[in-house]
Amino acid sequence: MPSPVLKATDLCRTFQRGPQVIQAVKDVNLEIAKGEFAGLVGASGSGKSTLLNLLAGLDSPTSGEIKVNGTSLDSLTRKELSSYRANQIGMIFQTFNLLPHRTALENVEMALYFTGISKAERRKKSISALERLGLEDRLDHLPNSLSGGEQQRVAVARAVVKEPEIIFADEPTGNLDKDNAHQIVELLAELNRNNLTIVLVTHDENLAVKYADNIYRMDFGLLAANGGRIRE
Amino acid sequence: MRYQDVIDISLGNLWRMKLRTLLTLLGVIIAIGAFVSMLSLGAGMQEQVSQQFEKLGLFFTIQVYPERDVDEEVSEDKPKSLLNDSALVRLSQLPGVQLAYPFDEYQTKTTINDTTIDVKAQPLSVSALHTKLFSRIETGRVFDSDSAKEVIVNKEFLDMLDIENADSILGTSIVVSIEVASFDSGLVHVFKSDGKLIWDRFKNIKFDSLANSEYRSRVLTRELGGAAGRFIDGYMNARIPVSDTLVITGVLHNSRGRSRTSSIIVPLATGRKFSAAGFSGDMTSILGGISSGSLFQASSDRITLEYSKVTLNIEPGVVHGPIRDSIKAMGFRSFSYAEEFEEIQTVFTYFNMGLAVMGMIALFVSSLGIVNTMLMSITERRREIGIMKSLGADESEIKVLFLVESGIIGTIGSLLGILLGWTVSRVISMVVQAYMKEQGADPIELFSLPLWLIGASIALGLAVSLIAGYLPAARAAKIDPVQALRYE
Repeated sequence: MPSPVLKATDLCRTFQRGPQVIQAVKDVNLEIAKGEFAGLVGASGSGKSTLLNLLAGLDSPTSGEIKVNGTSLDSLTRKELSSYRANQIGMIFQTFNLLPHRTALENVEMALYFTGISKAERRKKSISALERLGLEDRLDHLPNSLSGGEQQRVAVARAVVKEPEIIFADEPTGNLDKDNAHQIVELLAELNRNNLTIVLVTHDENLAVKYADNIYRMDFGLLAANGGRIRE
Repeated sequence: MRYQDVIDISLGNLWRMKLRTLLTLLGVIIAIGAFVSMLSLGAGMQEQVSQQFEKLGLFFTIQVYPERDVDEEVSEDKPKSLLNDSALVRLSQLPGVQLAYPFDEYQTKTTINDTTIDVKAQPLSVSALHTKLFSRIETGRVFDSDSAKEVIVNKEFLDMLDIENADSILGTSIVVSIEVASFDSGLVHVFKSDGKLIWDRFKNIKFDSLANSEYRSRVLTRELGGAAGRFIDGYMNARIPVSDTLVITGVLHNSRGRSRTSSIIVPLATGRKFSAAGFSGDMTSILGGISSGSLFQASSDRITLEYSKVTLNIEPGVVHGPIRDSIKAMGFRSFSYAEEFEEIQTVFTYFNMGLAVMGMIALFVSSLGIVNTMLMSITERRREIGIMKSLGADESEIKVLFLVESGIIGTIGSLLGILLGWTVSRVISMVVQAYMKEQGADPIELFSLPLWLIGASIALGLAVSLIAGYLPAARAAKIDPVQALRYE
């Protein structure tokens, strides 16, 4: 097995809701190899999105450790963690999370604002990313004038434009019809074929089975036995 | 994140919320406008005073007065110093003094084109006329020499004659005359009054009754009182006229206060002819003569007479303090415009501080508007902040983004506020100037917008907006991206 690009060890995340302590993620141990298409499945509230946020550095674990290419996220400064999000990972959300007042092109460009590249290069890369996703005639469209599938493709373009190592996709098909859902996952699979690591969170197990190299099942914050790995 | 990107994003966000931005801006504009117009009034008045001082050379002028009798420091046994010609020489020899000239004013009757008016005359040297204090010649020129048969009149003189065109009076001859009273005329009246000689009066005295002390006392009181009365009557009424014909060479602007000039200014040597002839009949001169003990002195011995004021012209850059100390040591009082100006400056500083405080209150109110706008903006853009953080924005970048937004409001608000303040001050200034013109006064510029005020207003507007924006910006930076991304 190739060296893991992502490694979680004894990962825990608890939330305090009044007097109640909720354990969203419990002692998760996980290894995702470079170039792997990982499917994280589970019912709603199973903790898969929380785990994804922890791996993406958007949230901090209560205990345990996450290593990216051997570097612990815990050891990073706030700025280094921001840089990790800006340069090493791309994120795709169920609700697309596009800025409604910015055009498709500007939304993609936004991902490059924090990488420090020039305006001209930013524009060039963004146009290229949108063209690759078949949105060359939608550059100046605001999100509300795009279909759901197109919006998600813009979100994918935004995730890939900075050429990250890992893409975290949190229920990217949740708001799409079947055809668009397959199109989006097909896009992710194509990116994966170019050696991009994909972590796909989905409640649609069939989709995961069809595209993922490995499937990890979450249940009440726990990763299923044998490391949660269902298929090798 | 690049600076240009931060500004672009911030401007875009402000533009998106046009109405709210405009209303917040309006608050800053009005506050800065009020601040600018109030402080420009203070600066304008300060500048006006400073310019007047500069124009009249008052920064280089010290005026010397005789010590007052009521002054505590005049000791009983020390003789009072006389501000006379010998004092004038000593004053002119003080280090740093360029020129010393007296203020020796007397009442004259001046006839021009068959019209005779009572005006006060002041003899002055040509060198004194070349000082800034007398530089406000409206038309014409100063005298050729100290003995020239020439005269300069001021605007007050023209007003008395209802002459509007100052140029028209240049070259006109006037007859300046004074009637001087003399000791002789007074004495003659003591011996002769109402056609009766003094020995005619003696005939009425019962010499044999003089042994009676009551009668003697009554007679002495009557005769001595009568003699004194007849002397004063003769002194005041039997005066000798002294006159000279002089040509008007220039017209001077009116001055007020301590730098006031007499209605007519005559060359020093020419003017001395009048003052050397004796006292003019006005009560002030006579009382002055009585108080100085020089009433009966020979009129040619005027060196012992006192001037009411001596003006010293000081070399630029010379500190007035030591000169004033020397003047005090000579037994005179002094007044320094430069030192007075420092006190005026202090008053202006307090005045400006008061105005600034009022402006600051307005700015404080406007800063609440900025805080409100930014807080609302954060609530609305919570999800956007989450997206930006997920894309790699650091807390500091989010904070800078919001600070730049409030900073832009502050900067644009300050610039437009300065423009508003300037416009308001221009309008008020125009109205005031029009009113002053209508009232016949010289229009003055009440407002001034110095560079420091522009700089201070921008700096203050920016500082207030950044302070107001800091708390919301810090709050935005701390937003949890996971929570924000779920926010609808």
